Amino acid sequence: MNNVIECNNLTHYYGRKLVYENLNFHVSEGSILGLLGKNGTGKTTTINILNGFLQPRNGECLIFGENTQHLSPQTKARIGFLIEGHIQYSFMNIRQIEKFYSGFYPNWKPAPFWELMSKLNVTPTQKISTMSCGQRSQVALGLILAQDPDLLILDDFSMGLDPGYRRLFIDYLREYAKAENKTIFTTSHIIQDMERLIDDMLILDFNGVLAQTSVNEFMGSFKRFDFVLENDKADLKKASFVVNLDKVKNKIELYTYSSESIVKKYLDDNNITVSNFAQVKMGLEDAFIGLTGKY
Amino acid sequence: MWKSVVYKEWLKIRWFLIGYTLLGILGIGYLFLTVKHGFAFSGGKNIWNSVLFMGHQFFSPLKYVPLVGGLTIAIAQYFPETVNKRIKLTFHLPMGENKILLMMHTFGAVSLLLSFLIFFGLFAVFSLIFFPVQMVTDSVISIFPWFLAGFSAYFLVALIVLEPAWKFRLFYSLVGGFFLTIYFTSAVTSAYGSANTGLFLVTAFLSIALLFSAHRFRKGEM
Repeated sequence: MNNVIECNNLTHYYGRKLVYENLNFHVSEGSILGLLGKNGTGKTTTINILNGFLQPRNGECLIFGENTQHLSPQTKARIGFLIEGHIQYSFMNIRQIEKFYSGFYPNWKPAPFWELMSKLNVTPTQKISTMSCGQRSQVALGLILAQDPDLLILDDFSMGLDPGYRRLFIDYLREYAKAENKTIFTTSHIIQDMERLIDDMLILDFNGVLAQTSVNEFMGSFKRFDFVLENDKADLKKASFVVNLDKVKNKIELYTYSSESIVKKYLDDNNITVSNFAQVKMGLEDAFIGLTGKY
Repeated sequence: MWKSVVYKEWLKIRWFLIGYTLLGILGIGYLFLTVKHGFAFSGGKNIWNSVLFMGHQFFSPLKYVPLVGGLTIAIAQYFPETVNKRIKLTFHLPMGENKILLMMHTFGAVSLLLSFLIFFGLFAVFSLIFFPVQMVTDSVISIFPWFLAGFSAYFLVALIVLEPAWKFRLFYSLVGGFFLTIYFTSAVTSAYGSANTGLFLVTAFLSIALLFSAHRFRKGEM
């Protein structure tokens, strides 16, 4: 399968502060990849590099084989871009903004835009600046759908949206992407939203990539075990299989890629007595916090 | 595509441009009403005498009108692009980044030019009613740098507003503010006769200054 996005040895600093070093990832055609990470791990930096708004200190990103620092107009026409906060030209109304964008894209399809607009309680002459955040999100989404791009880059699409609009946005987007074989690269602070949308994920931490895999593979291999230590002095952090450990008094939440038997064997071999040992089922958000930690 | 660019820029500046042009026309009308009033009450001989020999500039109320126009149109056009870094939307459009910026800039400058041509034409026509050609020519030479200042202000504000770093914005503002005083230095009628060509060239050079700010924005300077 072709890679729509390919980033190689990406390194960036803000001043002396390292954002990431030698970051490598790719996004395959037709896949929906979510970029996850805590604040400050470089999600928006990556989006900015992909859109040519930031020159990395080292490395390069290619979209459809072109360096993102010098995207040709033809390639830009194939990329739909949603700015964080659903920013659009708010001095326009929806009729004006549709007319404006349609002049740039030869394959412009107004039907999806007006279909979405018909669901909003707005008039064609209502300025975007007077709309709610949820309504603005639908305008931004409608414009992207009308552009009919091959790749959609969405920066924190759930920002400012209430649950209803988030659900509407995700369901509409996923259905569209899967039906039309579109590729999506997206970030969001709300992991539950990502769980409904993405196929693959890339989790960034302050030191680089923590995980790059499919959501199903990650959820199938990453586990949480809860138990109570009989002796709360026991140190489990040295165990090689421990990815993360949350300890409150003698209650343990242990996150690992290893199996229950390996964990139990370690406890037995090291004479660590525990009670109430159980594997806890996780959602993507739990797993994300388990992997990256709460702090 | 250029039609869409023009459409967007027009939506941004239309009311500012129309309002400014109407106010300017009213201002010129008021200026010549004052001149007519002077002719009626002081006599044409005295007015001519004060203009020819006492250095009175009947057109001095126009001094900052083009500057205000340049500032108004530039802010109306470029400020909305920088709110929430909306300029990213413009740069993402399927055109060369510099090309689309220069199209926007040309539209703004041409709009300003049309407004200035109306003022200039009205000024010349009304002046010829009250004064001989030589005096009108000297007056036109005197007001020409003020109109160039209007264009310079437009170009400088674009440079400043699109600049991503506040310290650079401050620096450009200080240097730009000082630079603009060059257009307003002499109060002697037609004193700029020999300097107008040079000022025109400098102003023309400033017209592409915004590309530097745009380049810095795209490099991610902060």
